[in-house]
Amino acid sequence: MSDLFVRKATGMVRSWSVFDAFIYAFFSINLVTLGFYSFSQMYYFGGGMIPALIISAVFIIFEVVVYASLIAVMPRSGGDYVWQTRVFGGGIGFILAITGWWFTLWLWTPIYGDMLRQIVITPLLGAFGMQQAAVWFAGPGTPLFVCSLLTLVFVAVVIFLGMKSYARVQKYSFYAGMLGLLIVIVLLFTGSPEKFKAGLDANSAAYFGTSGSLYEPTVEQGIAAYASTPLMGGTFGLIMVTLPYLVFFNLWPNWGATLYGEVRGATDYKRNFSGMAWALGVTTALAIIFFLGVQKTIGWDFYVQANAAWWNYAWGYVTEAPPLPVWPNPAMLAVFLTDNRLIQIVVLLLMSTWWFGWAGTLFLSSTRVIFAAAFDRLLPEKAAELNKNGTPVNAMLYMILPAIIVAALYAYDVAGFKSITLAATQGIAIMYFGTAIAAIILPYKKKELYEASPIAKMKVAGIPLITVAGLIFGGFLLFLLVEWFFDPWLNSGGVPPGLYGISIANTNSMIFLGSCYAIAAAIYYGFKSKRKSEGIDMDKVTSEIPVE
Amino acid sequence: MTTIFFATDIHGSDICWSKFLNAGKFYGADQLILGGDMTGKAVVPFIHQGGSNYRVTLLEQVFEITNEDELTDMRKKVRSRGYYPYLTNPDEIQELEKDPAKVSAIFLQEVLKVVQQWMELAEKKLAGTGMKIYCCPGNDDMDEVDDIIRESRTVVLAEGEVVNLASGHEMIASGWSNRTPWATHREEDEDQLAARYEAMISRLKNPSNSIFNIHVPPYKSGLDEAPELDKDLRPVLAGNSMIPVGSTALRAAIEKTQPLVSLHGHIHEGRGSTRIGKTLVINPGSMYEQGTLLGAIIKLGKNKIENYVLTTG
Repeated sequence: MSDLFVRKATGMVRSWSVFDAFIYAFFSINLVTLGFYSFSQMYYFGGGMIPALIISAVFIIFEVVVYASLIAVMPRSGGDYVWQTRVFGGGIGFILAITGWWFTLWLWTPIYGDMLRQIVITPLLGAFGMQQAAVWFAGPGTPLFVCSLLTLVFVAVVIFLGMKSYARVQKYSFYAGMLGLLIVIVLLFTGSPEKFKAGLDANSAAYFGTSGSLYEPTVEQGIAAYASTPLMGGTFGLIMVTLPYLVFFNLWPNWGATLYGEVRGATDYKRNFSGMAWALGVTTALAIIFFLGVQKTIGWDFYVQANAAWWNYAWGYVTEAPPLPVWPNPAMLAVFLTDNRLIQIVVLLLMSTWWFGWAGTLFLSSTRVIFAAAFDRLLPEKAAELNKNGTPVNAMLYMILPAIIVAALYAYDVAGFKSITLAATQGIAIMYFGTAIAAIILPYKKKELYEASPIAKMKVAGIPLITVAGLIFGGFLLFLLVEWFFDPWLNSGGVPPGLYGISIANTNSMIFLGSCYAIAAAIYYGFKSKRKSEGIDMDKVTSEIPVE
Repeated sequence: MTTIFFATDIHGSDICWSKFLNAGKFYGADQLILGGDMTGKAVVPFIHQGGSNYRVTLLEQVFEITNEDELTDMRKKVRSRGYYPYLTNPDEIQELEKDPAKVSAIFLQEVLKVVQQWMELAEKKLAGTGMKIYCCPGNDDMDEVDDIIRESRTVVLAEGEVVNLASGHEMIASGWSNRTPWATHREEDEDQLAARYEAMISRLKNPSNSIFNIHVPPYKSGLDEAPELDKDLRPVLAGNSMIPVGSTALRAAIEKTQPLVSLHGHIHEGRGSTRIGKTLVINPGSMYEQGTLLGAIIKLGKNKIENYVLTTG
């Protein structure tokens, strides 16, 4: 649309910066938090990590197309919740979105807490010579629960300050984090295996009070824990079965996608797409560079074995702590390549910003969906109440109180609750699946809306691009869901936990997931019935008014 | 009990206007109230290419029109987003590029043409129902719009007035907003807004049982959050930074007067409801360009709100 024929009117903003959009998407598929954490747990696969990263990115680019398309067609609409409700009608959007964007986030709380201690607290305490505290924080039970509570305090502070302030924190964190990662990569590429071995022993002794050589015993424990994941290679089938674990890291480029503003044309679609696609591409490239750096200096086999030794202990398969008594944080291993403690501390602080610039959005989507549901009268009015400072106190309580209970179950591993880590991804992926279906049928079910949208002319062999992308992304999600629910390793081995730990054989996982959907359905149908008794037909207020 | 249906910011969308006219019957509402910003934001030139051919650029996509059916279909698409189709030729486009004043004149002509059509449609659709529509144009609406509405027998221009609704509730209405970065038609400083509100409030007989229909939302109500913009009107931090942009004068007026309900629009992203003291404050938001009519149903009892819900129609 030529600017000549657009008048000055409220909301006629210019396009946002693609680079800014990139930053938020880049931080959502966070290499240092989600990436390093999930890579380390993937020590027992047969598919190469580099091909797995590339293949997953190829599938996820279609997720980017789906979300950029939906934002272009239905901006300002509240995301998955409204898209699904508009396309499917009824309670499907409510149940899937409430579970995906709200309940599932309770489970992410202890996971964020685990990353806080492993990426921030433990390495820094070690660097400052507080050996006992560093090791204590890395341990099971109470330390994890404490860190989950610290995470909740941080998130509450962010909500209190508001996104206006936190969006700036994120931007500064991006620059600081990138500087830290650059130094880590330089250290990895300029170091040598000999220097690493010496640095590991010396610094681990200084940080955590260990003694003697750590390298050989770690290798032995890693081998005993069946460390096997290669850097390259593996059959296509073996690579594919790594993806349901890997998406814990990179399924989220859409997380920070902006939904606001007046869509002026196809360019806005491209800007949204570019922000997310660049984030996916750059993060994937950085992950590959990081892996190659690890291979050069730390040694790929040792990296996988050290991770295997740690998680075999952390997951409770063995009771003896590994020689390195903390999570083998790759940033920390990299700073062990220098003897300068000041540089070590500076780099660890810079790398901490990856957590601080990311964790604040833990409940961002939950707040939005709680507010949207309250405005639709499907939650009590008080759920969306703001206090005098503009803080959504009740919505915060709806998120924080259950999250404390879930964090306790997870931290103390009540009845094996810790095994359901990947359900945190599964719950959101199920919601994404609903959105993918909505994207597939949108051009046909909402024909007029689609044809008057900025993506109306984007077609592949005559088929709307959004439909094609939805089919591929939906197919990928279906594959993930089948793998998660019907774990292939479980089927051949016959016993839990299987490859992913969240199959139908994991009672905890099924109870958690089932409870979430049951609560969401109870809320929806309960409030719908209540409103009906008050004279409000909820089906009618979401139905389209006839035009003629 | 009286049931009110309120919608706002339909910005020239034919679909939304038709839905609004049908909303009374659809939702069982007794009273229709339309918030400000009735007029669209863009004219879309249909550039004649000879014969039955036109070239149309809609949302940065070029469409080649080759026959009457396609032309009708394209006009409908353009109108569905609240834009105004304008049949022209390459020579006129060249002239217009040199003379923005002529573009403004075309804009006004097209806007008023559609408002006139809307008034006629309202007369036709609501004939025999006894229902009237109360509206007050918003800050994006040209002054000339008021003259057309004044001529209508079905649509009542409520700007600056205290209106007595059939339910017995008094309603004050204004489409004026606080200052925006776009220097629109009806905006002024907060002290002027305060005086404007006071002039109406002072005429209310029963303020605590009244309705405020004010286009701009109150400051820091959560219903006035919009993307923070830089000096070039670009959303900063990719739209992740939201700031309150409502009126402080209005907030003070609501806090002091405590009307029963306060209805707003202006910020399309600000869909929601909240309370300021005892007052229920609502901004149903807007998705006019998607042809979706966002609204609110409010069931009013004597001196109280029986119930309310936001709608997506």
